[in-house]
Amino acid sequence: MAGSIFPYEYKQEILPNGLKVIMIPMDSPGLVAYYSVVRTGSRDEVEKGKSGFAHFFEHMMFRGTKKYPGPVYDSIMTTMGANRNAYTTDDLTAYHLNFAKEDLEKVVELESDRFQNLSYPESAFQTEAGAVYGEYRKGITQPFWVLNEKMQNLAYDVHTYKHTTIGFEEDIKAMPQAFEYSKSFFKRFYRPENVVIVVAGDIDPSATIELVKRYYGGWEKGYVAPKISPEPAQKKERIGNVSYSGKTLPIIDIAYKGDALDPENMDYVAALLLGDLAFGENSDLYKKLYIQEQKVQFIAASTPMNRDVPLFEIYSMVKNENDIDYIRDEVYKTLEMFKTTPTDATKLENLKRRNKYSFLMGLDTPDNVAGGLARLVAVTGGIEIVDKLYGQMEKVTPENIMSAAKKYFVPERRTVVVLKGVQK
Amino acid sequence: MKKIVSLFSVLIMFVSIHCGGNVSDDKTVLVSVPNDPTVSFRVWFKVGSQNDPPGKEGLANITASMLTDAATKQNSYEQILDKLYPLAASYSASTSVEMTVITGRTHKDNLKEYFPLYTQAILEPAFKQNDLDRIKSQVSNYLENVLRYASDEELGKAVLYNEIFAGTPYGHIDAGLIESVKSINLDDVRSFYQEHYTKDNFVVGVGGGFEDALVRQLKDQLAVLPAGKTNKVLPPAPKSINGMEVVIVEKDAAATALSMGFPIDILRGSKEWYALAIANSWLGEHRNSSSHLYQVIREERGLNYGDYSYIENFPNGGRRNMPPQNVSRRQQIFEIWIRPVPNDARHFALRAALREFKALVENGMTQENFDLTRHFLKKYVLHYAPTTMERLGYALDDRFYNIDGSHLGKFRKMMDEITLADVNAAIKKHWQYGNMKIVIITNEAAKMKDALVNNTPSPINYTSPKPDNILAEDKEIISFPLDIKQESVKIVPVAELFMK
Repeated sequence: MAGSIFPYEYKQEILPNGLKVIMIPMDSPGLVAYYSVVRTGSRDEVEKGKSGFAHFFEHMMFRGTKKYPGPVYDSIMTTMGANRNAYTTDDLTAYHLNFAKEDLEKVVELESDRFQNLSYPESAFQTEAGAVYGEYRKGITQPFWVLNEKMQNLAYDVHTYKHTTIGFEEDIKAMPQAFEYSKSFFKRFYRPENVVIVVAGDIDPSATIELVKRYYGGWEKGYVAPKISPEPAQKKERIGNVSYSGKTLPIIDIAYKGDALDPENMDYVAALLLGDLAFGENSDLYKKLYIQEQKVQFIAASTPMNRDVPLFEIYSMVKNENDIDYIRDEVYKTLEMFKTTPTDATKLENLKRRNKYSFLMGLDTPDNVAGGLARLVAVTGGIEIVDKLYGQMEKVTPENIMSAAKKYFVPERRTVVVLKGVQK
Repeated sequence: MKKIVSLFSVLIMFVSIHCGGNVSDDKTVLVSVPNDPTVSFRVWFKVGSQNDPPGKEGLANITASMLTDAATKQNSYEQILDKLYPLAASYSASTSVEMTVITGRTHKDNLKEYFPLYTQAILEPAFKQNDLDRIKSQVSNYLENVLRYASDEELGKAVLYNEIFAGTPYGHIDAGLIESVKSINLDDVRSFYQEHYTKDNFVVGVGGGFEDALVRQLKDQLAVLPAGKTNKVLPPAPKSINGMEVVIVEKDAAATALSMGFPIDILRGSKEWYALAIANSWLGEHRNSSSHLYQVIREERGLNYGDYSYIENFPNGGRRNMPPQNVSRRQQIFEIWIRPVPNDARHFALRAALREFKALVENGMTQENFDLTRHFLKKYVLHYAPTTMERLGYALDDRFYNIDGSHLGKFRKMMDEITLADVNAAIKKHWQYGNMKIVIITNEAAKMKDALVNNTPSPINYTSPKPDNILAEDKEIISFPLDIKQESVKIVPVAELFMK
């Protein structure tokens, strides 16, 4: 495709029931990656007491159907030697398999079956809740886990981004009681118009789409979009502290309410670059704090791609507790400078070149291609965003960077959380 | 119709390529993938944490980082980051007990700019004090804070390895010991580099869409390293384990992590190893629900997030789904990893895991499980190395283990040749139930010790109803005897770990 950054020809088709299928043949002898991207994540958990449910439900999807009960499904997958798993984030749930090309039809059959006919007894549902709590216990020993919980809870008032993907602990504890709710979750969200299938690797697109039509064609529409309360504009800065029960160096997390992914919004597109320019590993501040003064273990920024308003974050692990305010002020000073001083044109071009090669080097296996597209596909519903977004990034000017800095990095959008370890 | 090429034949093809061609020799491993738009490098120095001098544990790891995360004679570290930045390319070092590998990858478009930076890192490190300070601070933070407090799973495994190999060159983790790391200075780094980074001590690995000329250029440049053979470290001779030897690491933990195991005298490449791999895969294939331990502890009882077993070192299991490359070693252990369980289920989970292992050791595999598992593995190993960089890593490991052909190719072939009798013979020969190191990361250590040595029953409470067969099995697990003696249990406060 001329002018396209995406190096593979792909085919796309939408079934009458709304199921979108993206097929990407690539040179990967014998190997296929198959992603079912559900455009539902912890963002969709609008009911009180049900945080963490999208993730919990992801676990339930491995419990089988009447035709292929869990152990039978497992046994077929085992015989295939498929590498399979799933993950849940704020905006999506993805089910992914890698397998040998001769197993494609069986995979299409099994995946279509569980997406349409999932069936599990209450006891299995309750047992799985124990595994989810185990996952929480495994995670909570990490300071970043504790920090993110606090940050999201403090930064949001009404939007579901208030909770992390695994959910509030009290909701996880109550999961075993939510059997009936789980069935409604499946009925509302696991519908063809809310799912995109991405198949990459050693495939023939026309044969693949025939298989998908055969096995998914009877899947009934019925997606019910959740009523997600938009987050009201923040009025003033929020500041919080959180304790970590173990021993850690302190971490400061400075977050600003940003914008949802929108390639037409040049402030947003410029912000994607600004995070790297200001705090990336060849930025002046990174060199100063990490390499020269050595006051931090690391400093980094994240500018996520979301359906709703995310947090643009800058976080740093600080070696000496007495330097926390200094680090915070250095971050503020840097952001102020980006509001008033145009970015050096060479630096901007270097970053664009970096982004291009970073993208291309990441497309080396079917799994990396399909997996790399999953979030963009979930957030926008299609693959067209790739070329659109990279095209827009190419157009970003130093003025756009200044405009983004002025728009987003202001005190009234800001939440600051400092995490400290209890043990010294 | 397009010719169907299986990945297996592709693996075979790589082998034939890296054995032929005029740039190949015993110091070169090549994985040519002509249409790969990138080039991958792995230069392997035959040095690792086993070569750390006493009192300087961690020196191999820090020296390697001083090559890849620090200045060269040509460029400051900041300048290096500036130059690599637009290329989206990088290089890094990984140090394991016997191998140090300088890994790098770039898009072909950027090879000319990238290549000198990569070779300068290996050949012309500047060894500056401020770089050393920064790297030591990173390692110290990992040992003092991250490992002891933020990752109970890795902590359990680290303590298990340190316990099993105590008193041998394998007896400390690659990151080293807290006091030793503090004592490392620039002279230590320089002399370690001079001793081990010699032209007699490396193997060059190149993969992807490279030209022969590039390989020659890399080898010519590395030839300027001084001559010198490293003093050979003998394979470790771990002390024998007498009965169940338990270490309880006491900390304020909300959940209990469990690791256990013993040394095994078998390495990949032999038919017996692949037979044992079948048994191990059935018992505990990493991050796969086909694992039997996973089925018993997670799937049926919901006690944790996963339960696995290993016959090769598998660091950072929480972060990776497939086996790592270039952590080869001449002495492996068998290892069971139980992810954190609620503290009140810790004794039950330990019993459940050991009971399953004992049954496998005593009864062997069934024909049905054997057939299922070998069919599984025959295809599953295709996922072990999907990228050029990973295939190159495997090819280097093949050199380490002196494997004729390739390990992954052999793995698949063996799945058709090995019989159930082979597997059960390998189990009898290499696994045993009675002598094992057990590491428990938990709170209330004294209480746990009491329960262990007294074989106190460990009843289990579920939040959901369980089928009769599970409840019947639970009755056996609850009082499953572990035969742990008072004097075989050691309690260690977490703050005392990895000190010196």
